[in-house]
Amino acid sequence: MDELIEAFAARRPSGLEQAYALWSSLFLSVARHIISDGAAAEDCVHDALVRVWRAPNSFSGNREMLKAYLVACVRNEALTFLRRESRHDARALKAARLTPVTTVEPPVVDPVETQRLQGALARLPEEQRAALMLAYYGNKTHVEIAKEVDAPLGTIKSRISMAMRKLHAELASPGGSRS
Amino acid sequence: MTEHLGEDAELYPLGILDDDATRNVERHIALCSACAQRVAQAQAVAASLAAALPLATPSPALGRRLRESARPQPTAKSRASFFPFALAAAFALAFLGLGWQALVLRERLQSEDVALVTMVHSHFNHVSMDPESTSPVTAKILYARDGSWIYVIADKPGGTLHAMARTATGSTDLGTLTSAGETATLLVHPRERIVSITLQRAGANVASAALAY
Repeated sequence: MDELIEAFAARRPSGLEQAYALWSSLFLSVARHIISDGAAAEDCVHDALVRVWRAPNSFSGNREMLKAYLVACVRNEALTFLRRESRHDARALKAARLTPVTTVEPPVVDPVETQRLQGALARLPEEQRAALMLAYYGNKTHVEIAKEVDAPLGTIKSRISMAMRKLHAELASPGGSRS
Repeated sequence: MTEHLGEDAELYPLGILDDDATRNVERHIALCSACAQRVAQAQAVAASLAAALPLATPSPALGRRLRESARPQPTAKSRASFFPFALAAAFALAFLGLGWQALVLRERLQSEDVALVTMVHSHFNHVSMDPESTSPVTAKILYARDGSWIYVIADKPGGTLHAMARTATGSTDLGTLTSAGETATLLVHPRERIVSITLQRAGANVASAALAY
């Protein structure tokens, strides 16, 4: 078994430290995308990683799966924080979110890393792509998206679901992109 | 088991479902390997989307805090959040897909409620913590009359909370409360009788209480 996976699953400190060393920038990127306050974003990364690592027998899989799993946990922690804070101050939520409603685009940082993703996104039907962009990069719930684009809730759920499944089919296939 | 998840399987890893739908997904994927695999696939897509975000550089302090948190804390047992556990269950079921694992996972899920079970079988007292500072936290302590366990619950913690305790012989660090939705909790089995507990946020006291046995 992969040494990292074994150490993480066994809740050895080296497992947490290795995972953090490998993906700390990614984790913080995910949190900072949702929370504008740097200290609060770091709190979310800390809390999410420690909680997962402490959970008994919490993981089995390979290294990429561990990364995806931890990224999801950090994102969930950050969204929970954002929504909790928004209940105290609705203006904080508004300020923390990305702004344009219909033009949310994924920022391109590493063309090599994102080439397949960008290609796959570009091949999605526009309505599916827009719904997914608002959900992931706009940090909006499907209920909020439905209100913004004036479409039924079930339609928005279907668009996001279809977009995710098409992306998986493209990204998981050998070679992936057709462009 | 209820019918399969449907589209919620793709929405769940994005963190955009409401609380009820989220809990439904977590309960379901702990026992359904087909839906667990579907969630895991969506999870991988979500991670790909994250890879397009601008990279951020963590402060050195974050690494130090993580190493500190990874140090063994034999007296404290935090109540783990259901969310990461359910995701882990999804991976376990999706990629190993063995029936016996469902049984194991069911036991693990039940262990999440160890604090509640402990209380059910105990005689205990409770006390509301006195707020301190300009940004206090509302918290309560439930504790066994024989001092064998202490359960701290904070409402809307507003950040990471740390519990410090005073005993007859000095002070002891009980550990960090674990956030779970709107609350943060900590279950502790102390080695000696605790006479008071103080909650700290970012090093400042935010609530305290004395325990009377």
